[in-house]
Formats: sequence, C-alpha cells, structure tokens
Amino acid sequence: MAHAVISCLHANLAALEAVLADIDQQGIDTITCLGDLVGYGPQPNEVVNLVRERQIPTCQGCWDEDIIEGLNACDCSYPSQLAERRGQLAHQWTADQLSEENRAFLASLPMSLWRDRQLFVHGSPNSQHEYLLPDMDAFAALERVESAGAETLFCGHTHRPYVRELRDGSIRVRVRQTPGEPAGVAEAEDRELRLPLRRIINAGSVGEPRHGNTHATYVIHHEDTNAVEIREVPYDVERTCRAIVDAGLPPIFAWRLRHGFEYAERADDASHVCER
Amino acid sequence: MSPTLLISGPPGCGKTSWILNRIRNHRGPCGFLRLVGYPDEGLLQARDGGIDLAWLQDQCPGLLDLADPDQALAPRPANLLALIELPQFQPPADSGLAGLDRRAIPQLEALHLSPDEHLHFGRDDLLPRQDTLDFNSLQALERNLAGSVWDPASLSSFWFELVNGAYGDVYRAKALMNLPDGRAFFCNWMVSREGSQFLPLQTTASPDGRPQRLSRLVVQGKDLDPAAIEVTLADCLLSDALLELEQARLRQQEAPSHPSPAA
Repeated sequence: MAHAVISCLHANLAALEAVLADIDQQGIDTITCLGDLVGYGPQPNEVVNLVRERQIPTCQGCWDEDIIEGLNACDCSYPSQLAERRGQLAHQWTADQLSEENRAFLASLPMSLWRDRQLFVHGSPNSQHEYLLPDMDAFAALERVESAGAETLFCGHTHRPYVRELRDGSIRVRVRQTPGEPAGVAEAEDRELRLPLRRIINAGSVGEPRHGNTHATYVIHHEDTNAVEIREVPYDVERTCRAIVDAGLPPIFAWRLRHGFEYAERADDASHVCER
Repeated sequence: MSPTLLISGPPGCGKTSWILNRIRNHRGPCGFLRLVGYPDEGLLQARDGGIDLAWLQDQCPGLLDLADPDQALAPRPANLLALIELPQFQPPADSGLAGLDRRAIPQLEALHLSPDEHLHFGRDDLLPRQDTLDFNSLQALERNLAGSVWDPASLSSFWFELVNGAYGDVYRAKALMNLPDGRAFFCNWMVSREGSQFLPLQTTASPDGRPQRLSRLVVQGKDLDPAAIEVTLADCLLSDALLELEQARLRQQEAPSHPSPAA
C-alpha cells in the first residue's frame, strides 16, 4: 500500500491542487499532512478548506500555531530584520484573512500523528519550530527518532525533501551507582544500547519549495517495500504569483516564489528550538 | 614628470579598479577626479556622489581630491600622477586625446587640468575588455544613505535580491554601506561578472552611534522599481534603538572582562 505525505502548503492553492492531482493519478488514497497550511501565500482559506474537504489527517505546523497563538515564535526564528518584518507582515495579513472556522480548525490540529511505529510531525518531536536538516549531527537525529519511540519519523519544516537512514546506531551510557546500593557493585558501569535502523523522511514543501527549483515536492511511502519516493510536481507558479500581487501581499513574495527562493530564509541556527 | 591620464568607459567596465591598481603601482603622490558623465539617448548616467573617491581614498591614504578647489589652485607636485575618470557610454569617434568628449572640457578647465593621455575601455588595448558592454538603454537610481546602518543579514538579502533582478534588470550596482560594528563595505556588482565584491574599508568607526562617512547606493539598469527598493530599505536599516542595542553588545564584548590593575 502506498501512502502520500505532504507538508508546508503555505496557502499556495495552485501547488496543492497539482500535488493532490498527482496523488490521485497514482491511485493513492491515504494522505497525511505535516502542517503549515498557511503563511506567506495568498490563499489561506482556500487551502484549509481543501484539506478539510479531503479530510486529510493533519498535524499542526509552526505557522498554524503562530496564527492562532499570535506570533508565538521568538525573534531568533528569523535570520534577519528584513525576514522578520516580512514574516510579521505575512502573519498579520493571514490573520486578517483567516475565517473563524478555519482558525478553529488549525487550533484543533494535533502536534503529532502516529501510524504503527511511524510518527508524523511538522518540525521535530520536540517542537514545530525545530529544523531537522539532512546534515544534522547523526547522534542528535537518532535521538529525536528514538526518544519519541518511532521507527520512522516523517517531518517537514525545512522545505527540502530527503530520506535519511540512521544505521548501526548505538548509545553508550555510564550508569552511576546511587548511595545505599549493596556494596561490591562497581561505582559506574558502561552500558551500550544497539539501535536498529531508524529513518527520517522529510516531505519537502508543497507551497514554498526550497530545493532549487519551483516544483512542489512531497513523498510517497510504499509500505509493502518500505521504499520512499520523492515526487516533484510542476504547477502553475504564475497563478500563485498573480494571486500574491492581487491580494496586496508584497510583490517580492511573488518574485521569490517565481525564482524558487523561499519567502524568508531559514534561521541561522537551524537547530534552535523556540522556547517561548 | 608623471602624466595626467583620463580614463573613460561605460558603467562597470572597471575604470575605478584600473585606477586603483595604477595608484598602487605609482611611487609618488596621486590625485583623482571623477567627472560628471553625459547622458546619451536612452542612457542615463548615475550620480556617483563620491563613492569612487571615498573608496580610493580609503584604500590609498593621501590620495589628492583633484575636485577640491584648493587643490586646483595649489602648485601640484612634480611627480603627481593625476587620474581622471569619465563615465562615457559610447566609444570615442577619434583615437587619443582627439576622442575626448568636448562637453567635458569646461569641467577640466575649471580645475586647471589638461590630460596628457585619454584611454577608453573597449577602444584602447592598454585597458582590459572583459566587462565592457554596449548599452542600448539605461536608467539610473541613486540613494543617499548617509547615517544609515544596515542589519548585516538584511544587507546580504537585499543585495542578493537587487543583483538577481527583484527590483528590475540591474546591470550595475555599487554602494558604500555601514554596519553596526563600525565597519563599512564597498559593494560592487556588474552583470558581466559572476558574484559581487564586498570589500571592507580600511577606516572603521567606533561602534557608537551613526557613522559620519559617505554612504550611498547607485544602481543602473532597466525597469528599475525605486518604490520597492525603498520598502525593502526601510525593513533593512536599523532604528536608533536597535542600533544602540547592537552596539552596546559590541562595546561590552570589546571591554576587558576584568578590571585592569591600578597604575
């Protein structure tokens, strides 16, 4: 059975429609969405409506959280003053547009979804704001998967799709004897835990690609073979660019989308976890 | 006696870089003058506003400003190398001094300058050719940024967008930009080159308030969008409060962590 995972839609209706058409064309009817339905893009209500109509199980992204909580991310989520100002502008515009019904829908989304030993989150099991980048330290990456109790972790947030296999993992711990233990036991003991294969699968971004071109990306997980396919889907970028300008959003958003650049650059310290 | 050279050429051909090298290789005093260029049909000259002179004086302390009226009247050193830059789109009709744009002569005479040699990029083999382009139409946009200080990461984003066409088809961009730590950079980009130059000025200011040095942006291209540039500039430049916040942090880092022993 094949299962599609989409993420980071960012209010880009043309991209979402193209991706759903691609999924339908392959006869896949199980879809999971990893959040960020809104933010920067020009059609927040239309995108949320479509996700609701299709009844796609969805977890909450950082933008979904911020839009209902009132810009919850701390300043360090933005790498520059320019990115921060543009992000705040997009936030305010989106907050003004979003219907109460759709706001309630975003507020109702869970932080994570499970299917067997597969965990679905937006950023990481720790936070919607944490980036799990493909070149992240292997121990830290393994810790994120293992501590959550998952075999496979599906995430988004980076807007760059990848599959990372964490093989031959082990965790070595030194256990100290606490006072009151029977005498004769060594004061400290090294223990090593061998971990089986773990995987992190990043679904990329439907609405704001950051992988080098303008195509929307998502992943298909073939559960019978465990194979993962990263899909790139061309869509009508100009339609979204026109909608950005028509909506009164900054034209620079259209220029950036048209050239395959993200609306705002990702944070300098990608491992930073917002604690506000 | 060292000559007075007049160097002309279209935007971004490398006039100032060639002059900088020439000054560095000259053993003796040097002077510099940038003449105001003349527009041709559909081709607007940009007002440099002193960027080239400020950059050259930073790199070559002691460089004489030949536009300074006091310098014009003072006796010049016998071995002075005088270098005159003239922005000029079209190649001269004649070779050598005969090809000098007649419209520039009053500017030269007013400063008591008489070139011994005229070299034009694209015409004279003594000058490099790789960045000499023919322009059919060109707009110019200048922005005085005196007293402005950039959020460094925002400057990087703005410059990336500028030279990649977010605000129109830019052929040439140059600027002197201030950072909160007191450094300033000469930012230089030409459509025929790969990548931008970000060259630090040797003179730095203390991280204490807004620097007094010249700061300016000059852009040449087509279909430029000054309003969009203004919006982005407003989002990139630091307010007084944010500048003080950043500079207070820098001053704290620079301060000795332990009090020095009493003398």
